[in-house]
Amino acid sequence: MTAYVIVGNSAAGISAAETIRRLDPEGDITIVDVEKTPAYSRCLLPNYLGGTRSEDALRIRPRDFYQKLRLNTCFGYRVARVDVGEKVARLDNGARLKYDRLFISTGSSTFMPPVPGITGEGVYGLRTLEDAKKILAQAGQARRAVIIGGGFVGLEAAWALYRRGLEVTVVEKMPQILPQQFDACAAAILLREMQAEGIRFILGTGIKEIAAPGLWEKLTGKAGRGVILENGDRLKAELVIVATGTRANTGLVEGTGVKVNLGIVVDKYQSTGMEGVYAGGDVAETEDVVSGRIGLTPIWPNAVAQGRVAGYNMAGIPREYGGMIGMQNAVEFRDVPAIAVGLAQADGDGYEILKEYRPEHNLYKKIVLKDDIIVGLILVGDIRQAGVYSALMRKKAKVTRLKHRLLRPDFGYGQVLSA
Amino acid sequence: MKEIMVYTERCNGCLTCVLACAAAHAEDKTIVGAMAAGVPGRLFIQAVNGRPVPVLCRHCEEPACVAACMTGAMQKDPETGIVTNEGHEQTCVGCWMCIMACPYGAVVPAPGKEKMAIKCDRCPDRDVPACVAACPNLALAFIEPEDFARERQKSVATALAVEAGVPA
Ligand SMILES: Cc1cc2nc3c(=O)[nH]c(=O)nc-3n(C[C@H](O)[C@H](O)[C@H](O)COP(=O)(O)OP(=O)(O)OC[C@H]3O[C@@H](n4cnc5c(N)ncnc54)[C@H](O)[C@@H]3O)c2cc1C
Repeated sequence: MTAYVIVGNSAAGISAAETIRRLDPEGDITIVDVEKTPAYSRCLLPNYLGGTRSEDALRIRPRDFYQKLRLNTCFGYRVARVDVGEKVARLDNGARLKYDRLFISTGSSTFMPPVPGITGEGVYGLRTLEDAKKILAQAGQARRAVIIGGGFVGLEAAWALYRRGLEVTVVEKMPQILPQQFDACAAAILLREMQAEGIRFILGTGIKEIAAPGLWEKLTGKAGRGVILENGDRLKAELVIVATGTRANTGLVEGTGVKVNLGIVVDKYQSTGMEGVYAGGDVAETEDVVSGRIGLTPIWPNAVAQGRVAGYNMAGIPREYGGMIGMQNAVEFRDVPAIAVGLAQADGDGYEILKEYRPEHNLYKKIVLKDDIIVGLILVGDIRQAGVYSALMRKKAKVTRLKHRLLRPDFGYGQVLSA
Repeated sequence: MKEIMVYTERCNGCLTCVLACAAAHAEDKTIVGAMAAGVPGRLFIQAVNGRPVPVLCRHCEEPACVAACMTGAMQKDPETGIVTNEGHEQTCVGCWMCIMACPYGAVVPAPGKEKMAIKCDRCPDRDVPACVAACPNLALAFIEPEDFARERQKSVATALAVEAGVPA
């Protein structure tokens, strides 16, 4: 009987467990996680914060899931270290879990930039249910919140706290929101909508310091606490959320010979190259289909797909990761849905750009082509055919004959079928 | 497992299937009710070079929409093969991840205020899905994929034979 150990009870880990159980009904499967809750969706934490989703509705599987799939759970324990020679995962309480196959899906954690005061009270990341609970508790006694970072997580947190009735200010170092995914035009549409709602934005400046009550009083002569910006401005706030990025949780394989760049390096089979050791999800580096670059693609669908591929290979059925497209993400603020896929900001030599921009309708579509192959996409306002474009991108299909139709409102799979 | 198969060349774009689908998903199960409540059809007739092409969910073997679903609402039933985000313990929040993932564009946002993605559920309470039952041109069929392939081959052979002047 094969012993499988899965570290990380989330998107990638659950997907691997389901796949392994289907392929190996007898295998002994154990899932370890520091968090004690049944698997939940981090993506829904903003909904929980905003009060539109209860804690119980964050679970991604039915209550009897672990029992039904006969998965041993070891929740509340951290895997401190993997011993790849002995094939043992060591827990923080000293216990040793023997494995034949190990899946590392430890995800990532909030990166706290090294500015003074960041470890102080009232300052949180938003990555775990525990984070969200702390934020909620603090929000109850706060009037103003500052969100540091105008990326997806920052904006979702801003929106959620705004819904809770707080005065919210977002501080973003770059001159636009969502700088990783969207171009200036798309970002401006979304910015305008959130501003219209009453959320305040300060762009183009970073933070210098987070001031606890003592320091704040010394600086301002008044009671309170808050954030000091690089340009010297002060923002009073009782609640600060840090959303400037994440770091992959690779500590458990440090010094073991498993190769780590920004994340754990894996091959097409999600294997680390160490015998029986696989990795996937936010913690792993894979190849991006469009750019060919190796890197992190920290989004939910990729984690699920990689967990499935790992599961196959761990159960002894060779299967390659088809590759996914980076930076695929969806947001919606004030009923304006938006999606960015692939090299959405690519510009200059060799790229052809198709665009449609109707600001009065909050509509913006941009398709980036290279040699008649779609390599990037931004859709704002109308996202219905996003999957069709993405599929063309993933398949690297030549769209020469479709090009004039791509932006038409009636574009759809039918046209692809008949091209 | 039976699936909805499409004979594109038989479709004349009459939209009866779309209306029947809307009616089947309306509260009172009527076309009038569907129109009054703005219930959309869950399959699409797209115009391609002036020809109608039906586009609908394939209920894929390894559905991209299920992998993309961040709430766990989108599931594929191992018995029936039906892929749907309705009728499960986990519910849809309208994050649109499935819409981004579906290569057929077969998942769309529900109209109106409620944030929810909608797609073909293959009419779980009917023997034959409403769209198939309604199609007056037999452009849709609810059959085993193998039978469809066999019949296709036969008709291609017939067509070739006709073209070659050979009686089939
Ligand atoms: C607020 C927010 C919103 C998001 N919105 C979206 C979205 O709209 N769309 C999208 O695609 N993605 C979104 N994401 C990203 C998405 O949540 C991640 O891509 C996904 O959760 C990755 O899954 P994973 O299984 O790789 O890792 P994770 O979900 O990070 O899970 C890793 C697990 O491993 C555990 N762990 C880590 N180290 C150890 C250890 N040493 N021992 C034991 N256990 C350990 C952790 O406790 C954790 O439970 C969002 C993320 C956040 C935080």
